[in-house]
This record gives sequence, structure tokens and C-alpha cells, in this order.
Amino acid sequence: MTRLSVALLCVLFLAGCAQEYTKEIDLSTDTAEDADYTSSDLLLISDEMITSIMTNGFHHQYAAAHNGQRPVMILARALENNTDEHIDTRMILDKIRTALIKDGVAQFVDDKAFDQALDQLNMQATDLYDDTKAAKLGRFVGAHYIMRGSIGNIRKMDGRETRNYFLITMTIVDIETLLITWIDEVEYKRASTKGSVRW
Amino acid sequence: MIRKAVITALAVLAVVPGCTTYTARMNDTGVYYYDGEYDRAMDELDELVLSSSNEDCCLFMLERGKVRLAAGMYDSAIVDMQGAERRFDEIEGTASVGEMLSTSIVSEGSKEYHPEPHEKILLNTYLLLSYWESGDRGGAYVERNRVVRRLREYVGNFTAKDDPPLDVPFARYVTAVLYENEGMLDDARIEYDRIAKIYPDAVPWTPNSHLTEIAVLAEMGRAPVKVSREIRGYFEKVNGRTFGCFNLPGSAGQQVYPVTSSFLPGDAGLGTVFTFAFPEYVRLPRVAAYCRPVIDGVEAGTAVTLDDLEETAMEEFRRDIGTILLKSAMRTYLQLLAQNKLDGDAGKIAAVVAKVFSAVERADTRSWQTLPAEIAVFRMEVEPGSHEVSLRYYDASDRLVGESAGRQVWVGKGKKQIAWMPGPP
Repeated sequence: MTRLSVALLCVLFLAGCAQEYTKEIDLSTDTAEDADYTSSDLLLISDEMITSIMTNGFHHQYAAAHNGQRPVMILARALENNTDEHIDTRMILDKIRTALIKDGVAQFVDDKAFDQALDQLNMQATDLYDDTKAAKLGRFVGAHYIMRGSIGNIRKMDGRETRNYFLITMTIVDIETLLITWIDEVEYKRASTKGSVRW
Repeated sequence: MIRKAVITALAVLAVVPGCTTYTARMNDTGVYYYDGEYDRAMDELDELVLSSSNEDCCLFMLERGKVRLAAGMYDSAIVDMQGAERRFDEIEGTASVGEMLSTSIVSEGSKEYHPEPHEKILLNTYLLLSYWESGDRGGAYVERNRVVRRLREYVGNFTAKDDPPLDVPFARYVTAVLYENEGMLDDARIEYDRIAKIYPDAVPWTPNSHLTEIAVLAEMGRAPVKVSREIRGYFEKVNGRTFGCFNLPGSAGQQVYPVTSSFLPGDAGLGTVFTFAFPEYVRLPRVAAYCRPVIDGVEAGTAVTLDDLEETAMEEFRRDIGTILLKSAMRTYLQLLAQNKLDGDAGKIAAVVAKVFSAVERADTRSWQTLPAEIAVFRMEVEPGSHEVSLRYYDASDRLVGESAGRQVWVGKGKKQIAWMPGPP
């Protein structure tokens, strides 16, 4: 009887192990899984940079000098990735851009739409399109500022422990003068230790 | 009862993995790869990846990644090598209870493959080349950073005396070329200086960011492979300390290593000579002794040695040989002890099982086998634009023994381009 109970318990245990388990993770309480770059880092970096740009207030000065207009910016293709990880750094820039547009801080020129827009305009300039309803050439808005930056890390590994230091620097540069209008950095260091036993 | 024992033995035989050694399984792939028949090599590796156990899967992926890189399938090469790298990083420094048990009973080959330090450095170097060749400069720079980190982790801790055989100058050279392309000349100089200590002829006069140059990196020969050898040995106690005494083929005299583990049970069986499987590294014969790059139809010079990977692999193995010997011997020794301790029917079963184990036991012969034995370098200033690069291979008597297919290499003004050429066996 005892053997049968043990066997049944084993079967139940294994059945539990075999079940797939899915759960939603609240992004506001998301934490890093290890010392590598993770989604929580993306949120941390973009949140701190957005707050810094807001509090800097250069957009208010710009508006005051330009009849209430918002500055027009363009994103660099990506943050310069000087880390030892393959990171899609464009996600950081995209997240900041979304927040700045939604909060009415700045307008952005879509750097990635340029080729497609040009193709469309050239196409619409042909006889295939109704002149009165076709989009007009020569109305692209030039950006006044470029948002760029870099991300780097220093990783040290000692046995099962990994220590990883990240430094992210971002700037908004005036295209006409090359003067840095805004600059800030985010840095953090994290350590993680792997379990000594795996199954 | 004997029938039961036979059935038990057959059952054991059915579950014992790795009855064929890794080297034997890679034989056809190696032949195809070094003949330049990449499609057939990839077909073989597809089969091996699909049919392999978890223990070997990542190593086969590594081999396939290297073949895919040679075949110009850069994205697929990246997928394979990154998959293998991820798993190697996960298991580094960890132990598996199941593996500890299985390696004590079955074979060292029943645990997941842990790459050697030079293999880890080369994994990222070939990933760098895959990104570079695919035109993803950002990806290549990330891999460059990873190579530098790996070099620091695995080579940085050695003393200056250990550096030459265990360093990986090929990895340093590739990272230095990328540094030059970025204008980071101090970083390039650091890497070239390390190479110059081993191969002074292989480095440029001075790192620069203004010359337009091609660096031809030619792979020559096949990496040494491990084969399973049966050797004899015994344990003995001297002044209270236990030693393993072994007769290694090719080594003069007896090899004696102290047993530091307390795993050896009592004094039973001490002095009894037994035979066990042991992995022996074997150098493979080379077709070519040197090569001369042909750039735009003109033989431009002779490539000089940049990296002796064969010696690196052999030296790493030499350093671990005591541990490998003792572990291999201990496994067989414990099996023999268990067999002798059991009486009656159980003893008969144990005897048959031990014979079956003895019949199927092979040493762990795993290693990255599509690596070259040597990498040679030739660097030349060229006009910006497209150039055709091929290699002519010569034997030690200066006879032409083969020529590689030509490949187009594009070099931007003031840039350095790497022309990586997988070579003949």
C-alpha cells in the first residue's frame, strides 16, 4: 500500500512538472532576471531619460523663442552599442520619442519613413495621380535637433558570479550649431550568481 | 538467472549513450568539410544535430555553425553558434547531479559538453566573422567586445610563461583589425603587441587608420582529434598517499599522479592492474605546409603563421591529463570493485553488465573538430574597391598541392578588410 502511495505521488509530481505555466508580468514591478541587459533596464533607462528631458525645460525656451512651436527632432539610427551584448538600442530611442510626442514636448521627423515617403511623392508626381489630390513635393520639415547616445558596459565574471556595470549617455544636439542642448546619463551595476546545481 | 543477466545487460546496452565515439561520428562531416563540399557536410550535421543527445547537441551546432560560415550562410551560422554559446554560458561553473552520477558509472561523454577555453574564444571570433561578413558592423563590434572579454577571462590569468601556447592570436588579430577600422589605434596596438610576443612577423609595422588593406586569414590543416585508447594502470598506496600509475602510449616511463579525491574506497584492489578507455589527442597529417595568397591574379607573397591552434589544443589537454586519467581509471576501477564484491546471481549480473560496459565504454573524444590546425596571415595594401582573393597551397617541398576558389573582397578607402579563407586538411 505504501509503495502504491509513493508511486502515485511520483506520478502526480511528474504530471505537475509536465504542465505548461504562463503568467502575466506587471511591467511596473518587473525586475532583472540576471546581470545582462533586460526589459526592466529598457524601462529604467527610458523613464529616467524622459524625466530628465522634461525637467531640463529646453523645449519651453524653444517655444518661447519660436512662437510657441515645439522643437523638431530626429532620432539617430540607434544608440551606439559599445557593450558585449546584442541589444536593440533603437527600442530605447523609440520609447523616449513616443513619450515626448505624447506629452507634447517635441515633434519628430520619422527617419525611417524617408525613403518610402520619397518613393510615394515621386509616384504621385506622375500623371497617374490627380494633381489636386496628390501630396505635394517640398514640404518635408527639417529637424532642428538630433537625439543620439551610447551604451557601454564593463562585465566581470568570477566563477558563477557576474558583475555588470552599464553606462548610458544621451544627448540632444542642435543640428545648426552642434551645441549640446541636453545631456544626461544613467548608470547602474548588477551582480548575479548562477546556481551551482542544474537539473 | 543468466538469461535475466543477459536481458539486463542488453537493456543497459540500449540506454548507454555514446557507443560510437564523437570522432567517429564526425568522420564523414570532416571529409566533406575539408574537401569544400559544404552542402554535404551540412547535410551530415543536420542529421547529427537531430539525432544527437542533449550532451552533444551544442557541439554539433558549433560544428554546423562553422561549416555554414564557410559556406557563406552567415545568418544561419550566427543562429547555430549563438545557440551553442548560450547553453555553454548557462552550464559554465555549474554541476548536474544526474551527470555526476552518470559520469561515475558510464562515461565522461555522458555529460554535456563543456568547451575548452580556446574553443570559447574562437566561438565568439567566428561569430564576429559571421557578423562582419554579413555586413552587420554593429553586431561584429559587439562580438569583438565579447572576444576581448573572453581573452581576459581565459588567457588573462595565465603567467607570461603560459601565454604562447594558450593564447589565441587569431582572435586578437581579428579584434585589432576591427579596432583599426574604428580608429581605436591604442586598443589595436595592445592586441598586436600581445601577438608580437609570439609571432612578431604576423603583425603590421604599426596600427593605422589611413591605409587601405586586405588581411588574408588562411586556415590550414585540421585540428587534432581525440581517439579512444585502451591503456593499463593501477592504484597503489605509498606512505599513506594513494597514487594512480599509468602507462600512456607515446610517453616514456610510467605516469604517476596523486589521488586527491577521497572517492577511492579503502585499500581494496590496490595494485591490481586494469584496462580502461582514455582519450588520446592525435595530430592529423597536413596536405599543405604553407600557402601564398593570390590577389587579383597575382601571387602576392607567403602567409606567415598567426596561430598554432593544434598546439593550443594539445597544451590544454596536457594540463588536464592527470585529472582525465584519474577520472577515467576511477570509473573502471569502481566497476571492477563492485563486481568483485557481489556474490552469486547478483555477481553474475554485475559481471555481465561490467563486460557490456567494458565493450561499449569509449573515452570522451569530443572536441570542436572543424577548427584548423593553424591560421596564417598575409596583409597587403590595395587600392580601394573590389579584389579577388584566392590561396595557393604548397607542400614542404614547395610543390603546388592545391588552390582555393576565389572570392571577391570589397575594401573601402582607408579601411581594412578581412578575407577569411577556410582551408584544406
